[in-house]
Amino acid sequence: MAELHIIGQIVGASGFPESCLFCKWGVHTGAAWRLLSGLREGQTQVDLPQIGEMAYWSHPIDLHYATKGLQGWPSLHLQVWHQDSFGRSELCGYGYCHVPSSPGHHRISCATWRPLGTWQEQLVQKFIGGGHQLRKPDLIYSGADRYRLNTEAMGTVELELDIILRHFDKYGVNS
Amino acid sequence: MTDCWNTDNGEAVFRTRDMVKNLRIKVRVEKVTSTAALSQHLQHQVLSQQQDGGAIELQTLTSQGHKGDNEEELVVGWQEKLFSQYEMELFENEASCQTPLERQYHLEVKALKKARGRRNRRIFTYTDHDRYTNSLPFNQLQYSSILLNTSKSWPTFLAERMTSLRQRGQDQQKIDCGVPKAKIINWEPTEEFVRNTHVVNNVMQTMHIMADLGPPEKLGQKENECLLVTIKTDGSGTVIVKPDFNKGREPYRIVTGEKKEVWRLTVENASTVMKPEQKDREQNIYRDLYTQHMDYLNSLVGQDFEMPPVGVLRYLLNGEIVSAKGFEYDNLYIHFTIELPTNWSGSPNQSLSGVTHTCRTKPMGKEDVAFFSHLFSCEASYTCDKESEGTLLQWPVLYFKVLSLDSWQRCRTEGYGYLLFPAIPGKHTITCHTWRPLQTGTVSALRRFFIGGSPELEDISYVRIPGTFKGERLSRFGFCSETTGNVTFNLHCMQQARSFVDANMLRKKRQRVLNQLGGFSQQGAVSSVQEAFQKARKKMQEAQENLPKDLISSTSQLQIELSSQLKTI
Repeated sequence: MAELHIIGQIVGASGFPESCLFCKWGVHTGAAWRLLSGLREGQTQVDLPQIGEMAYWSHPIDLHYATKGLQGWPSLHLQVWHQDSFGRSELCGYGYCHVPSSPGHHRISCATWRPLGTWQEQLVQKFIGGGHQLRKPDLIYSGADRYRLNTEAMGTVELELDIILRHFDKYGVNS
Repeated sequence: MTDCWNTDNGEAVFRTRDMVKNLRIKVRVEKVTSTAALSQHLQHQVLSQQQDGGAIELQTLTSQGHKGDNEEELVVGWQEKLFSQYEMELFENEASCQTPLERQYHLEVKALKKARGRRNRRIFTYTDHDRYTNSLPFNQLQYSSILLNTSKSWPTFLAERMTSLRQRGQDQQKIDCGVPKAKIINWEPTEEFVRNTHVVNNVMQTMHIMADLGPPEKLGQKENECLLVTIKTDGSGTVIVKPDFNKGREPYRIVTGEKKEVWRLTVENASTVMKPEQKDREQNIYRDLYTQHMDYLNSLVGQDFEMPPVGVLRYLLNGEIVSAKGFEYDNLYIHFTIELPTNWSGSPNQSLSGVTHTCRTKPMGKEDVAFFSHLFSCEASYTCDKESEGTLLQWPVLYFKVLSLDSWQRCRTEGYGYLLFPAIPGKHTITCHTWRPLQTGTVSALRRFFIGGSPELEDISYVRIPGTFKGERLSRFGFCSETTGNVTFNLHCMQQARSFVDANMLRKKRQRVLNQLGGFSQQGAVSSVQEAFQKARKKMQEAQENLPKDLISSTSQLQIELSSQLKTI
């Protein structure tokens, strides 16, 4: 049995056209992985930057996984949402990244994209917001259905993660 | 006659896992008077004379009068309230008791008077609840007139805020470690709340041990009270003692009164020590607890781990296509395939190719960038067989091509590129540059612009080394291409093999041996080994010399016997 510790934070996001942002995050693993302690998913607070354009969340991530095999290494999925002055929430981007497999300190920039509709829908979106969302964000993981999507590039989410591996070298894993 | 004093009366911080109510402190104050010093000196003289073998035993001069006037020794427990003379007189009248605490003191004083009286005389204590704890002169350290040598100075804003949060543990709000279910934000904070939460405050329980150092006839004057020891603790096992325990060093010096009398203060820790059997029992309980927890964790997942078969290297690549930038047209998507060379095999139910979604670019700096964040993962196994032992290990390759598709369904190739799987495990961020085949002439350029067709490679492995290539020299002479943008990948690779297990263990063992020898360098290791050898040799020589004499004599006796026997024979 080998153990993986993920300790870090979601620092913030930048490069988005709107500034009042919050992030919903979650970690997805294969079947052989077991979460021993920590919260697998969460939602940050809404941040409105006064100076500059980067929204800072500093949301902690502290997870302890145990596993029987290397398949299904954890991956992180993020959804960045925008909350406007009327209190409505609008999707700003989906981002996905693998949790690093080498121990140490990692600074990750996760790029995000947002689904696009037809040009009429885009026009409407420009005025009243809204826009398309994935019916189930988990469908993306298999990668088979992605080609159907039309998207546009949005901003990036910064993360800092510290990875600690335990007992992996006992089973001959070099990482 | 002059003793040395301990001038270091800063506070000492102790951390304990035991409950603070087990703390006991022994405090001793002793007045330094001339008679006392003289009598001590005489005592020393007499004792030394007696030791030299003097015949006459003199009766030593003991200090006359009441010994308790000039010295007192007391063991004080945590939050143990001992009354001073002043307090005894104060709390005797019921009229002067205002709070319930003082009324309780009144009852205690009455009970003490009925009984044989209090056990302390000069030394008394102020516990956490007393109304005097806040107004001790010790408090005035908050104001910088004590710290600096100016005559007048005003307290700073921070000092003002901090004075109000002494020892009033009941009013302060403790913030829970758990997520508060109620309101997180306090929209209308009161002044008190602001004062308590804007500065760092540990809720501390305090106890002051004081002494009334006036002349023995006039005990009970408030001016003669002097602070001896302050003990503070917070709920989590930190105990702060100011001044620190003497621990066998010189006593502290207190100067009081207009007459400038000098007193000696000794502070000792008189708490009962845990017996070794109890310590062992505690250790055993902790060890059982930890093993239980480990067993529970193991039972959740199981002890085994998936290992590749013997002689097989398993290569696991978790990658993501991050972004593509610098391409000519918009609405890009990437189509990639993974090629495994000979001796490599992939697991049957994984797909070795994929297509990302179409992404509209956005300007970032000078270039247009498209974000994909497309995760892919590949697991491959390499089996080493005898035929390929001579050749170099060939790593798998990822070929990709970037295409653009616009709203009028015009599809163009934007670039081709390849990525070699990294040989070293770890995290790699690789930016691959791409090119696209170019047909010279205006017709193809017009076609590409208007209709959207463009030449494509038939065999994508041409990007690197064509699959049909056999020979020594690869020539691409005559092939025209144009440089286009680049694609960024994030790769995390891991390698697993059974032979790594022994290598890792060997590396750890070597590290341990090096550390034991005490050096990271070879030279250090050699010299320390030599030193150790010399020491061992010396020890052996000494042991030989110190062999018991009877052993040697017995051997010689044996020899004599043997020789005598031989003689008889």
